Amino acid sequence: MPQVTIVPGPIQGTRCTFTADGPLESVPGSYRCVEDAAGVPLAQAVLAVPGVAAVEIAERAFTVERRDDVPWERIEEPLRYAVTAALERQEAPTGPGWSGELDDDAMYDLIAEVFDQEINPSVASHGGKVELIDVQEGVVTVRMLGGCQGCGMASVTLKQGIEGSLRRRVPGLQGIEDVTDHAAGTNPYFSASKK
Amino acid sequence: MRRGRTRISAPPRSSPRAGERTLRSRLLLLLPTRTYRADAFVDAATRLDVNLTVASEYPSSLADQNPSGLLTLDFADPERAADQAAGFHRHYPIDAVFAVDDDTTIVAAHVARRIGLAYPGIQAVEEARDKARQRRRLAGAEVPIPAFREVLLDEVDAGRIEPPPCLPCVVKPVALSGSRGVIRADHRDGFRRAVQRSAAIIRAACGGRPAPGTALLVEEYIPGVEYAVEGLLIGGTLHVLTIFDKPDPLEGPFFEETIYLTPTGADDAVVRSVRCSVEEAARALGLTEGPIHAEVRVNERGAWLIELAARPIGGKCGRILRFGTDGNRSLEEILLAHALGRLAGPPVREAVSRGVMMLPTPGAGVFRGIEGRDRALAVEGIEDMVVTVPRGERVVPLPEAARYLGFLFARGRGPGEVEERLRRGWAQLRVVVEG
Repeated sequence: MPQVTIVPGPIQGTRCTFTADGPLESVPGSYRCVEDAAGVPLAQAVLAVPGVAAVEIAERAFTVERRDDVPWERIEEPLRYAVTAALERQEAPTGPGWSGELDDDAMYDLIAEVFDQEINPSVASHGGKVELIDVQEGVVTVRMLGGCQGCGMASVTLKQGIEGSLRRRVPGLQGIEDVTDHAAGTNPYFSASKK
Repeated sequence: MRRGRTRISAPPRSSPRAGERTLRSRLLLLLPTRTYRADAFVDAATRLDVNLTVASEYPSSLADQNPSGLLTLDFADPERAADQAAGFHRHYPIDAVFAVDDDTTIVAAHVARRIGLAYPGIQAVEEARDKARQRRRLAGAEVPIPAFREVLLDEVDAGRIEPPPCLPCVVKPVALSGSRGVIRADHRDGFRRAVQRSAAIIRAACGGRPAPGTALLVEEYIPGVEYAVEGLLIGGTLHVLTIFDKPDPLEGPFFEETIYLTPTGADDAVVRSVRCSVEEAARALGLTEGPIHAEVRVNERGAWLIELAARPIGGKCGRILRFGTDGNRSLEEILLAHALGRLAGPPVREAVSRGVMMLPTPGAGVFRGIEGRDRALAVEGIEDMVVTVPRGERVVPLPEAARYLGFLFARGRGPGEVEERLRRGWAQLRVVVEG
């Protein structure tokens, strides 16, 4: 099957056009809500990304318009995930994260599921565990335990691993806070040292 | 219908037109798992709003969850690491690469050459990394450095070592950092002991299997006042970010770094001579871009370049460097901005005096903690104390020490006040090491 490469163009205010090197195989048109985009998985997927106001689809390009109050950096990663899913499977991503903005309780439940099914089985390979403490106004509070507590790479695990994973799955995530007492860690997986 | 793989590439490399901005650039950050600075660099990348890929020598437990953000590279084999990075680059185009420590500078140079990114050349960073090669290059360029010779570990093992004609001298490994294995010898017997001990430290550092041709450096002891220089090379021009004073004398037999103060209290003539020494060394090594950290000694005969590394300051000492009128930009942010081509002009350090104390390890044993943290933090001007060794781990003092125990940070109205505050803070602390 052919691979399609999509190149984002320069951002012009609240709009950014993505050009593909092959046909998008979507129904061209201008869409402003998921309901309008019935039967057009690419449009549905893009519109399901929190912060996206509209999408225009052409044969080999689509233009995303964001809401004024949502910066591109909050949209970019979910957008990549959504577009990839839509074009590869010709279906919009599904699951609780893609039905719209979540309140804190729903977000907590979704994150707990991601922690149970993905994060903690993975960090366990380094003797670590990440505990979900709370979600308040979209900000997630966690505590790192075992091999993660005091680990020299804990911030990488948190920002690149956990936060990156959650941002692709949890719309409305505002940030992640680590309340771990890393100085009290007695068995970190990686320890800092001189060469 | 399902289709093949979809790839969403990075924005075009061409500069955006006026009034436009492209989607975020991707920065490849080479971060060894033993680093002290993961937090600082990850925070800086977040503030700079880049797509960050952290590459380390061991896999992250969450690499599968974020394949664009977490990468494993073979740091021990820079050519192989470059192949791995080039493969990654085909899926997630990289716009800049940055290395945080000595070893990864060589990996970064190979990656940059393979992908076509801006970075100092491989030969330049290799010569900066190896203290013996650096000495040879600087001597050839007539940069004032201590007289030196190299002693192979094989010669040490065979007992074929003679002390230099003039003592005292300093024995040091060519590829360790943080004063590890650096020993002053004042007489013939002391020299033999120093060489044996430094050689044993090198062997321990490489798991008992030093590479063939591994050498020690034996160099003239240069008396004088030592300064550290933090600099940023931009287009071949050295921008001195700061000169640190080191108020505790570094006279041996071991060279334990303790207090660093900024800005320096040295007079203009000393500052000029230190700067000139570092400029000459960087030029001789062929370094034109990126961070440098150098040690320079000054005496009545002038400034002597002791070492220069093509990377920023180690440990957590970089925390005391803040930039901008309100000090809201970190050293790491400045360095990553430069790597990304986003630095508008030479950075200017804030107008505040700051200092850091690298907490000394009092003796060998099991580390049980540092008592008195609250009392130390109650000393005026003390801003933070960070312990970087887990409780229960075995520690040793220099010259064998391979890790910093912790760091104490202070600020004040001048370097003298900062030094006094650090010493008062340190006096409140008790390092507990059980033999």
